Amino acid sequence: MTQRIVINPVTRISGFMEIDATIDNNTVVDVKTEGLLFRGFEKMLVGRNPFDAVYFTQRICGICSSAHSVASTLALEAAMGLVPSEQGSYLRDMLHGCEFLQNHIRHFYQYTIPDFIRLPDKYPLYITDHNDFRLPKSKNDEIAEHYFESLDISRSAHEMLAVMGGKAPHNHGIFVGGITTQVTADKIIKTKSILHTIKQFIVDRMIPDAYTIAQYYNDYYKIGGGYGNLLSYGCFNAYKELGNLYVNPLVYTQGKVSVFNPGEIIEKIDYSWYQDKKNAYKPMDTVPEADMNKNKAYSWVKAPRYNGMPYEVGPLARQWLSGEYKNGISTMDRTIARVLEAKKIADIVSVLLKSLIPGVSVQKKYAIPTSAVGAGLIDTTRGALGHWLKIDNGKLSFYQIITPSAWNLSTRGNDNLKGTAEQALMGTTIHNFENPVELGRIIRSFDPCVSCATHIYYQGEFIKSIQVVP
Amino acid sequence: MSADIKQIKNSWEVGLMSTTKTCPEYTARFQTASDLFIKVRDEIKRGSLVKKNLVWLELTGCSGNIISLLDGANPDFKYLISQMTDFVYDNSLMAAEGEKAMEQLMDITNKEYILAVEGAVATKNNGLYNIIGRWKGETVTALKAITMLGEKAAHVIALGACATHGGVSAARPNPAGCVSVQSVLNRKVIKLPGCPCHPDWFLGTLAHILLYGEPALDSRDRPLLFYSTLIHDRCPKRSFFDKGIFAKKLGESTCMFKLGCRGPVTRIDCPIRKWNQYVNWPIEDNTPCIGCAQFGFPDQMEPFITYNTTREV
Amino acid sequence: MNCYESAICQKIKTMVAESENYIDLLYAAPCIYTRNILLYQLKTKMNEINFLSGMICCQVNQIQASPTELPQQNQQNQRNITLQELAKFNGKDGNLAYVSVIGVVYDVTNNAAWAAASHFGLTAGKDLTSEFASCHACQPILSKLKIVGKLV
Repeated sequence: MTQRIVINPVTRISGFMEIDATIDNNTVVDVKTEGLLFRGFEKMLVGRNPFDAVYFTQRICGICSSAHSVASTLALEAAMGLVPSEQGSYLRDMLHGCEFLQNHIRHFYQYTIPDFIRLPDKYPLYITDHNDFRLPKSKNDEIAEHYFESLDISRSAHEMLAVMGGKAPHNHGIFVGGITTQVTADKIIKTKSILHTIKQFIVDRMIPDAYTIAQYYNDYYKIGGGYGNLLSYGCFNAYKELGNLYVNPLVYTQGKVSVFNPGEIIEKIDYSWYQDKKNAYKPMDTVPEADMNKNKAYSWVKAPRYNGMPYEVGPLARQWLSGEYKNGISTMDRTIARVLEAKKIADIVSVLLKSLIPGVSVQKKYAIPTSAVGAGLIDTTRGALGHWLKIDNGKLSFYQIITPSAWNLSTRGNDNLKGTAEQALMGTTIHNFENPVELGRIIRSFDPCVSCATHIYYQGEFIKSIQVVP
Repeated sequence: MSADIKQIKNSWEVGLMSTTKTCPEYTARFQTASDLFIKVRDEIKRGSLVKKNLVWLELTGCSGNIISLLDGANPDFKYLISQMTDFVYDNSLMAAEGEKAMEQLMDITNKEYILAVEGAVATKNNGLYNIIGRWKGETVTALKAITMLGEKAAHVIALGACATHGGVSAARPNPAGCVSVQSVLNRKVIKLPGCPCHPDWFLGTLAHILLYGEPALDSRDRPLLFYSTLIHDRCPKRSFFDKGIFAKKLGESTCMFKLGCRGPVTRIDCPIRKWNQYVNWPIEDNTPCIGCAQFGFPDQMEPFITYNTTREV
Repeated sequence: MNCYESAICQKIKTMVAESENYIDLLYAAPCIYTRNILLYQLKTKMNEINFLSGMICCQVNQIQASPTELPQQNQQNQRNITLQELAKFNGKDGNLAYVSVIGVVYDVTNNAAWAAASHFGLTAGKDLTSEFASCHACQPILSKLKIVGKLV
């Protein structure tokens, strides 16, 4: 007997999402992941001043806004033929690192923990009726306390970001050439001191908490795996003097690692409501026109593919490809990889801090080229992020953004390969139909940040889901 | 009765009639003990924190304002949910999901609550461009949620540029047909523009409501407490502006007017309050203000950074 | 009295009436908190009245204090500028920033509200009479701007 489970809203993610799953014999046999928010950033950016993109694209997301300012800065630098100075790179990557720390701590405690830990229900926010809480009371309550402790820590990660970046969320500071502030000794020591507290928390609380949960929920090491293909654009690498501090652009396919080739990225619109000369195109080629009359289409998602395959991006991909964590690919592995990555990023920020030289100015007076083309590809909090832009007559004439969540939450292509998260949900056993906690837990392990999507309903017909990349 | 006494009695009665209308002591005697009790009880309550229900709706936006709220300190998020309010609903933080989460939202409409809302309201296709949940098989669009929750709330606080005037969500050409929260509600909406809204602006406004009632608002419904003065009038770099010493590129410590600073048209207290536990703010970071806390952000505040400008005068 | 001064006087009259209203409300204020709010409003009104009356006093002072400036100002006021010429003063490529309102051309190059020679999405080098009217109709703004010529 097939049943249908629809979860909407999927809470404790960034943005709005629905999971629509078909269950047969307690197992997921079909599933759609649907983003439910559409704003249309690609259209908005056309005609604007190129430098404004650094600030404008930040507003795509409130918890990872620095990521977009980094990617658009890289795309602008590529278009303008600029290479930031070494100091400029350190400073910018430091700000980026602060955003990683804020995000990972908040994702683990505020977004993930309530799935596994019973928080005090005197606070209406934490009221829930599922009963799959397996930790003994003392351990449960200890981690619940850490939930509240973590609020101060993640807040201080943003404080650290603001020391060099002016404010958070939606920081200033990051710009072509590096960052705007000249670093001084007092800023350095302030950052060091905050970083010290954050690192201690990660080591003393966050990592042990993650392993404690993994111990009682070790079935999640076997759930939510998916295809097992991992991808990274690289980050905290390619420094002239420091070399590679984290991960290079690499791909892991069916057990083999290879170098990442940006030319192999395509977007498919087979089942998407767009019209273009081709159903698959490269990011710089085109932004297709909307067409809801397209035959067989059921979604607005443009499915990103590498070498024709769906890929997973994020902390697990990075930890795997850098050789730091290779335990497995599953829901629990993703969560463990994220907390381990938090420690890694804290160490990287520490190294960058040591290499800073106070009083060095990295900014120049920049001229907007009349015509140019550039791409910024960087791995960020949730995975691989890409901005592709064209400048004509001194204004932006084209802007394409493929977010990490588009990779992870993509829909299927004409080869019937499901999207990464959809595939991860397939085959999951649902133990309690009234509280299908497995679905939300798997999806949240991807740290979804839904960019934009739209839902169209017709009276009496099957729901069609649409997702549009911003 | 003699004529004199009659006269005295008359004048006394006339006097009594006139004084009963104006004499406060006389009228006060007519207040019963219970009336007095109620008055005293209310006076005691005023100035003391009375917990209220708080609903936080995220609509068509980046959800940056709830992240900004988590960055608050003294009061911080824990104080907010334990001492100030019963925080009932938020998409990013609540433990429940799906129908159970929506139930908590629907239940609150039967009680008194304060509504905080971030994000604009997508109106294209009758609001189907932003769906925030499903309730009893029906989709709940952002538009439907705000009209339902907004009309019944004791107070509505729209925070962030998108909620107050459309912001980035409504940037030209506004593909999703986004509008401000006020344009879909027929009642007063307190507005806290900012991108995002500083946690202090929200928590301070909320505190005022809880302690003393609605704060004093300007003609555009912004609390005077935060939005009274232009950044330019409190800018530490003002002396450079007045002397005509202008920065030619970012990272210089002089006035950034020639690079496009919007401090002169932005009414907010960033120079005093600064950000993230008062450590820094954009202008101190040697980047120009982009006017994120002013109506008109972003379209009317662009270009944010420009090097092609007027010559020195 | 010119039309600006009469507009300012009218505004001052309105504000005095509003202040009197606040004072009436103060008499009936039931508690210290309402009283404080009303006093705050009253103080703000007083400041605004002070500012406006200062503008009239200042204008008078200016004319009295520097009679020698007047002929020069008149000369500048007479300079004729066409729309095409105005378009060059767009505040870019090192050009000054001019705008015209109701036939008078003003220099906004160093006007704080015109950073990057733009103001709420409007750019310099244009006639902005209708935009000004829709936003700033009753506000004493133009009298504070530097006049550089007449639009012809």
